[in-house]
Amino acid sequence: MTSRETILARLRAARRPFADTPPPGDYLPVAPVDDEHPAALVEHFAARAEALNCTVHRCPDERAALAAILDVIGADRQVLCWDFAHIPLPGLGAALARAGVAVAPPSDPSVRVGITGADAALAATGSLVIASGPGKPRQVSLLPLVHVAVVRADQIVPHLEAWLATVRARGLDAFQAASSTVIISGPSRTADIAMELILGMHGPGELHIVVLEDTSA
Amino acid sequence: MRSQAAKFVAAARRALADPPLQDAVKRATDTAARKRDLAMFAHGRDHGEALRQQAAAARRRALSRLPELLEQAEAHLTANGATVLWAADAAEVCAHVLDIAARHHVRRVTKSKSMVSEEVGLNDALAEAGIEVLETDLGEYIIQLAGEPPSHIVTPVIHKSKEAIRDLFVQRLGMPPTDDAATMARFARGHLRAAFLSSDMGISGGNFIIAETGTLCLVTNEGNGRMVTALPRVHVALVGIEKVVATLEEYVLLTQVLPRSATGQAMAVYTHMINGPRRAGEPDGPEALYVVLVDNGRSAIYGTSYAEVLGCIRCGACINACPIYEATGGHAYGWVYPGPIGAVLTPLLTDLKDASALPHASSLCGKCKEVCPVDIDLPRMLLDLRYDLVEAGHMPWLWDAGMRAWSTATRSPRLFHSAARAAQIGQGLLPQGRKVPLGPLGGWSASRELPRFARQSFRAWWAARNQEEDRHDQS
Repeated sequence: MTSRETILARLRAARRPFADTPPPGDYLPVAPVDDEHPAALVEHFAARAEALNCTVHRCPDERAALAAILDVIGADRQVLCWDFAHIPLPGLGAALARAGVAVAPPSDPSVRVGITGADAALAATGSLVIASGPGKPRQVSLLPLVHVAVVRADQIVPHLEAWLATVRARGLDAFQAASSTVIISGPSRTADIAMELILGMHGPGELHIVVLEDTSA
Repeated sequence: MRSQAAKFVAAARRALADPPLQDAVKRATDTAARKRDLAMFAHGRDHGEALRQQAAAARRRALSRLPELLEQAEAHLTANGATVLWAADAAEVCAHVLDIAARHHVRRVTKSKSMVSEEVGLNDALAEAGIEVLETDLGEYIIQLAGEPPSHIVTPVIHKSKEAIRDLFVQRLGMPPTDDAATMARFARGHLRAAFLSSDMGISGGNFIIAETGTLCLVTNEGNGRMVTALPRVHVALVGIEKVVATLEEYVLLTQVLPRSATGQAMAVYTHMINGPRRAGEPDGPEALYVVLVDNGRSAIYGTSYAEVLGCIRCGACINACPIYEATGGHAYGWVYPGPIGAVLTPLLTDLKDASALPHASSLCGKCKEVCPVDIDLPRMLLDLRYDLVEAGHMPWLWDAGMRAWSTATRSPRLFHSAARAAQIGQGLLPQGRKVPLGPLGGWSASRELPRFARQSFRAWWAARNQEEDRHDQS
């Protein structure tokens, strides 16, 4: 018998533990959000993200968002960046070019700033949901010391349970199509040295979240 | 990893004589326990308790359908492009990993934290095969440099002071001396970054596997878990067979309860769901993903009264709450899992007789069950293990002799009376109000004042009282 068969046979032969556990009912959200109106969600998201040591740039329009990003880039001549099509800022490519900032290959470890979009954001925990895919390298949000993520206000959902409802609505195939989906809650951190909080252990030590508050204007 | 649990008593005694160790452990566990309470009860105590019961039910449902969920998970992992391997024991886990390494011409391995890899002694097996292996979780990296096992499942260097870590980095890595923890961490970041970029294979554990989608789930804070699953050509995940959950809903619940219980975070910094290796058109990610489903003693627990321990999600809350762990630290427990969870798992997964001291390393205060996010009844299992130890004849001769004498005496009124008289008289010969080691009872008496027997026994008092009442009634 293979180990697979041995293990499964042993489990099947055993008396079933917890056979009387009832099926799941409605799930209580782990982090409920009192006010789920769009404006309240932005407030909640920004407060939670800042509590996690993120810098939140709430921008009324695209110009303000581009200015915030160029400010983070500062004097750097290179950034890592997703394909512009996946970042909800149509003018980003032109703005970087005008500022003389080139996009380096995603595997370049010497670049300080990485720019991404996000697939969703979670108000309750100040988190970003980021799936990998063509044009969306995972290294962009991982290797640089500074990660800039651009999200539209309407991408903010109340909590992880609400995000899951959108996954169900789209169908599991879409979820499984991304080989990696990571929920990012603040900058990389460790407390392994005498319980002292240190940011930027392996991943980014700075996380800037640019929130486009009104994309219809 | 070979269990040293048989040496628990001696190791605990050494720890008790090491106040700096106890200070470090107490400070860390007190902080973690306080943060856990704040996070679990962030929306009120009733909400937190309801979450605990909801999470417990999710784990119990998964265990009740374990073989079916494993098959479902295997089918979906495979459909997602992963290769699923099964390992019955430690040797088979190591053999699988070495086989994968050979197939992919692997020379360098970077690892994120995996307690299963500690169970099976994977690092030694890789090193013997001439493969360089580097731990990348900062805590694991530090203990790998120091040549020590982890002393906590979440914060493995809980026992080390900042100064000890500084000295280690100065001696082993040539770091310029500094007392700034951030500078030390940055130094380690540089060293480890180079290792990530040059490694051929990444090894991780797995916090959950979602059966309905074949998703491998990891939580990390430092980002090393993302590095080892994104940069090397090959990713191998070692996952205990009990880690499977049925649906995304159960996962979404558990992956939030886990960091709240472990470190008091609402979410881990990186909550990671992996649906296979790099897809066509993707710029990064591993070319191959292997998931090794590890039994190593778990299926033998499954049908027993200890099955509920398989619901554990390895948050460490019971460890942080345990007064015994606080006094002894983690190394005394002698194997991978310390604290109350270790006192139950080690005897079950290694050897009951060898680990016979561990079920007794508890005051049965019940705090471990109270803080468990999936409501595992650890005190009940500690008691059951004590029962098993007696049944199996693994208790010391003095214990057995004492219990036999007690049993005989309490079944005979005459013997019981004589024994009580003997104790009243005998205590005059013993020192009162002081703690003294008394021969073979020294382990108990050295840290306790002897109890004082009453001058008059209850039976004598009762008889005298009744005589008194009789006199009253007659008068």
